[in-house]
Amino acid sequence: MADALFLAISVLTIGSAIAALEMRSLVYGSIALMGTLGGVAGFYVMLDSPFVAMFQLAVYVGSIAVLILFTVMLVKRELIFKKIEDPKRKFAGIGLMLIVILALGAVIMDSGIKTISTDSDPVDFREIGGDFLTYYWPALILMALILAGSVMGALVLARREDTIENEQ
Amino acid sequence: MSVIAPKFRLGYFLKGIFDNAFWILTIVTLAGIPAIQIVLFYLELPVIDGELLTAFLAFTWLFNPTMQVPLIKALIYSDLFRIVAFPGFGFAALIAAGTIFVERKMLAKLQLRVGPFYCGKVEGILQLAGDGLKLISKEIIIPAKADKPLFWAAPVLFVGTAAAFVALIPVAPGGWVVADLDVGLLAVFAVIGFFPIITILSAWSANSKFPFIGGIRALHQMVSFEIPLILSLLGVVILTGTLNLSEIVESQSSFPWIIFMPIGAIVFFTTMLAELERIPFDLPEAESEIVAGWLTEFSGMMYGLVQLGSYLKLYAFAALFVIIFLGGWTGPVFWPPLETELITEGIPIPNYAGDPILTVNAPGLPLLDQDPNEWVLQQQGELQYTSGQLLVSGVIWFVLKTVGVIFFILLPRGVFPRIRLDMLLHIGWYKLIGLSFVNIFIALGLVYAGVIGPGGIL
Repeated sequence: MADALFLAISVLTIGSAIAALEMRSLVYGSIALMGTLGGVAGFYVMLDSPFVAMFQLAVYVGSIAVLILFTVMLVKRELIFKKIEDPKRKFAGIGLMLIVILALGAVIMDSGIKTISTDSDPVDFREIGGDFLTYYWPALILMALILAGSVMGALVLARREDTIENEQ
Repeated sequence: MSVIAPKFRLGYFLKGIFDNAFWILTIVTLAGIPAIQIVLFYLELPVIDGELLTAFLAFTWLFNPTMQVPLIKALIYSDLFRIVAFPGFGFAALIAAGTIFVERKMLAKLQLRVGPFYCGKVEGILQLAGDGLKLISKEIIIPAKADKPLFWAAPVLFVGTAAAFVALIPVAPGGWVVADLDVGLLAVFAVIGFFPIITILSAWSANSKFPFIGGIRALHQMVSFEIPLILSLLGVVILTGTLNLSEIVESQSSFPWIIFMPIGAIVFFTTMLAELERIPFDLPEAESEIVAGWLTEFSGMMYGLVQLGSYLKLYAFAALFVIIFLGGWTGPVFWPPLETELITEGIPIPNYAGDPILTVNAPGLPLLDQDPNEWVLQQQGELQYTSGQLLVSGVIWFVLKTVGVIFFILLPRGVFPRIRLDMLLHIGWYKLIGLSFVNIFIALGLVYAGVIGPGGIL
């Protein structure tokens, strides 16, 4: 049962990832990307970490995908359906992808992943929260500061003097 | 001569009936019975009274009065019943249907109108059935330049997402919930995140101006109100230390969280109105500006599906408010316990003079208990309430509170005008987020002052 589920989620994830790259229509491409991100959430559920899976769904499918869709719908219609055919680049890209996958796979297989036992209990999200607030608190605060700084920077960049004057 | 059926002949009529009967019998024999047998082969059937239920046994027991109660009981405690009927889709759809009728009638009374009046003699109570029949029988019109797969998928996805939301809502104590997740509240946030996607996709796929404007407005509104929605519930999570919705309800056995978190409740209620696209936040469907917003191009049952989905969503949000702030199913248990003799000896049936002449033995009673031994324990005084008592009064309290919250969701529609888009975004991004942070700080203060929470006074 678990194997069949794993296969189904793998097919969904990889298939929709390929579709996201290959679709002519950008909107369908972003829907396929949502399928990929949802498939990754399915992997998290299978790996006994529903906390991460729900955050994957809420953040990636719920927010990032909406952002991508919103951007795609603002693109001009001719650009959405523009056809670019370049077989050489395609094969080069596939070759590059294979090399990257092989290298990553070699690194991962070389690490201690084989010794991990698979029948351990699911990770309690309270422990994750406790770790974040005790051992990893400098990293957490650093991330928060970077995010706040980037949001402020975006606000400053997006500010337009002329419209503000017009409103007044 | 009637115009509707100009060539009516009794012979044709009878021939039609017999033809239909013939084809139905043929199809059932060739396809239906084998399909049922194939399904039964893979179903895991329950064990009732120490005997494995087979299809033949089920048919036999249907006509055996002593076995009907155990059979119904096994059905009630099956997963399918949970998904389809009681805490899941059917229950929510029933409340949603009631909500639609009450909304129309109540708004009419508020505005000194009559409302639905003619269908079904008494105050138009059959109006909803009439509307449903009309929607089913109407033609589904797809715009010529619409993106057809997405346009067809959007209403179904909308109802499916709303049903997934409903599936996370616990209704009664003892695990009466379709999906009892450890991270239930996060799952609710994840499910809520799907609504803007479906809305914007359906709006885009209609390839028309009004739906697209409505969809963009819905996206603005839902995305910007999701943040205060999540933040306003975090206070309760900090106080209870759990994300499981059933445990959140059980933590309110002595007092509901609205006493300590009134600001969170107000923020959540406001964001709820915005997420549901109800007046005063109904900009996505502003009928006086953009026809019907993102619903403009839907017709027939597709529109009906979207409406069903939005009312399921309304029920689910109201139930979430009840679960998190109003204590869910907690309340005094008023359902009286059954007498033990009824279970052990049977139900005495008296004659006209009051003398018992017949005792009907109904094995399997009590119907609403998972464990009949609880009755014996309760008679011995070791158990305060049986799970059947808790279930009945819990459901009644839950429904009463939910209906109250739904009433307060419906009320602004008869009272307030629609607000402007910039006011809406201002409310969402400035005021509600600020208030929800105030709420979180109140919760943190209560925890660190040692009032509530782990090791607190209360």
